[in-house]
Amino acid sequence: MIGDIVSVQETYGKTLVELGEKNKDIFALEADLMRCSGSKYFESRFPKRHIQVGVAEQNLIGIAAGLAAMGRIPYASTFANFLAQRGCDQIVMCMAYNRFNVKITGSYAGLTSGLNGGTHIAVDDIAIIRCIPYMNVIVPGDCLELRQVLIEVSKNSEPTYIRMANGPMKEIFSSSHKFEVGKGYKFGDGKDITLITTGITTEIALGALKPLRENDIDARLIHLPTIKPADEDMIIKCARETGAMLTVENHSVLGGLGSVVSEIICKNYPIAVQTIGINDTFGLNAKLEYQLKYFGLTVENIVKKSKETIALKQI
Amino acid sequence: MYKINELTRIANQIRIDTFNAITKAGGGHYGGCLSLTEILTVLYFKIMNIDPRNPKDKKRDMFVLSKGHGGPALYATLARRGYFPISSLDELDVPLSKFPKHIDRLKLDCIEVSSGALGQGLSIAVGMCLSLKEQNKPNMVYVVLGDGECDSGQVWEAAMSASKYNLNNLIAIVDNNSCQLDGSIQNIMPLEPFEDKWKSFGWNTCTADGHSVKSLIDSIDNIKDKNYKPSVIIAKTVKGKGISFMENDHWWHAGTLSEEQLEKCLCELEDLK
Repeated sequence: MIGDIVSVQETYGKTLVELGEKNKDIFALEADLMRCSGSKYFESRFPKRHIQVGVAEQNLIGIAAGLAAMGRIPYASTFANFLAQRGCDQIVMCMAYNRFNVKITGSYAGLTSGLNGGTHIAVDDIAIIRCIPYMNVIVPGDCLELRQVLIEVSKNSEPTYIRMANGPMKEIFSSSHKFEVGKGYKFGDGKDITLITTGITTEIALGALKPLRENDIDARLIHLPTIKPADEDMIIKCARETGAMLTVENHSVLGGLGSVVSEIICKNYPIAVQTIGINDTFGLNAKLEYQLKYFGLTVENIVKKSKETIALKQI
Repeated sequence: MYKINELTRIANQIRIDTFNAITKAGGGHYGGCLSLTEILTVLYFKIMNIDPRNPKDKKRDMFVLSKGHGGPALYATLARRGYFPISSLDELDVPLSKFPKHIDRLKLDCIEVSSGALGQGLSIAVGMCLSLKEQNKPNMVYVVLGDGECDSGQVWEAAMSASKYNLNNLIAIVDNNSCQLDGSIQNIMPLEPFEDKWKSFGWNTCTADGHSVKSLIDSIDNIKDKNYKPSVIIAKTVKGKGISFMENDHWWHAGTLSEEQLEKCLCELEDLK
C-alpha cells in the first residue's frame, strides 16, 4: 500500500523464493553478501540452487553465465559498486558478448550504502553497464515495483542489471501499477517542467510536486525504472509539452539518468535540460539523509533547480 | 573407434589445416593453435560423447575453449569431425563470417561459449557443471586453458569454487606450452609449482605429454570419476609445434609469415603427412 515502509532485502529474497517455487531453473548467486541482498531466504528454501562464491565477483558472474549457458536463470547479486567495477569485464564478456540470460542485481546502490562510505557507494554503475551492448538496466522505485521487475525479467532472455537500494523503501505505487521493461510512468500533466527520476529519487521528487505548485510551477514527473532501453517516446512527448526537463538521480551526473535524457533530447527535441546528482566525485562516509542533502537530492533543491531550468527556456 | 596411430594422423592433419587456415587469413595465432591439436583431437575424436549431426544433443559432453585465440585449431578439429565442411576454414577472419579467430557461440551451434578475453572460461565451465550436478545429469564438461591465462585471479577463484562444489564432472586441460605473448612463462609470471597449485586447490592432477594422444587419453581415463574432485591435466606442449622456427618462440604467439618462411613451413608440414 502507498506509504508503507517495506524491506528491500525481504522483497528480493522472498520474490526469488516465489519465482523458485514455480520455476526450477531459477538460481541465486552471492559473493558473501546474501544478508545484504536478502537471498538468504532463497538459500534456506533451495540450498542446491543457491551458489555462494565468496568475495569473488568475477567468478560470480562467470558461474552465472555458465548456468545461463545451460538454460538456467541465475540472479547474481553483490553490492552495486563491486558488481559494476570488479565484475565489469565479466559482465561484458561472460554475459553480454555471449548474450547469456543472466540477471545481475546490485544492492546498496549509490548513496543508500550510507556509512559504508566512498569505497562502497556506486556512483558510476549505471554509466558503466548501460554502455555495454545488449545490457538492460532497471532501477525500481519501490519494493512493489522491485518485485514486479524481478518477476518480469525472468520471462525474457535478456542480460539485465537491476539496481537495488539499501532498504527499507516507502511504497509509491498502488497495486494497480504494472511494470514493463522499457516503459516510463507519468505522474500528473504539469505544463511547466518535467522532472525525470529513477529509483529512490522518484519518492523525493513526488514530495516536491506540492512545493512546486506553491511556487506557481506546474510540474509533471516521469518515473523511469528502465534506464536502458529508455522510454524515448514518453521523454520526447513530455519535452514537447513542457519545454524543460530536470533529472534527479542517486548516481553521478556523468553517464547516468541525466545523460540518458540529455542524449535523447539532443537528438530529438532540444530543450533546456538540467541534472541533479553526484557531481563527479565519490560518496561520503555519512548517513543517507546527510548525503542526499549534501548532493542536493532534496525537495528544496528540486524546487530551486526547477526555477532555474524553466528560466532557461525563456532565453 | 579410432586407434592411436589414426588419432595421431588426424591430429597432424588438423595441425596442417589450422596452419593453412591461419596463413590464408593473413596470419594469426600460430603458436597457441599448433600446440593444441592433439588435445582437441583426443577430446573430439575419442573422449567426448558428441554427435556432429546434433550439436545441441542434450546428452552431449560440453567443451569450453577458454583460450579463445585457439579458435582456428578448434575450427579445424570441428571440420574434420564433421560439423561443417573443411572448405569453411577458408572463411577464417573473413569479415562477418562464422569463423572469427576468437570463437563466437552466436555464429556456430557447436560452440558452447564465446571466448577471447582470457581467464574467464573456467568460471563458465563451473556454472555449467553446477547446473548438471543439480539435475543429476551425467554429462561431462571439458575446458582447455592456456597456461598464460592462469596468471588471472579469476582462474583460481573458479578453481576454488569447483573444488568446493565437488565438481567431478569437470575436467580441465591446460595447454602448458610454457610461452605467453611477451615471453616465456618463467620470465613473465612463473607458475611453478603449477601442478601443486592445482592440487592445493583441491583438484585431482596429473601431467601428460600434450603431443602424445596416448598419454592424453590415458591421463583422462585415469583421472576421470576418481572421486568427488574436479580434475586437471597439465598437458606439456610446445608452442608452435610442427614448425621448427616457431617452436618455443613466444614471438610466434601471433604473427605473419614472409614468403621465405612460408616455403619452409610448407616443407616441414609435408613431413608431418
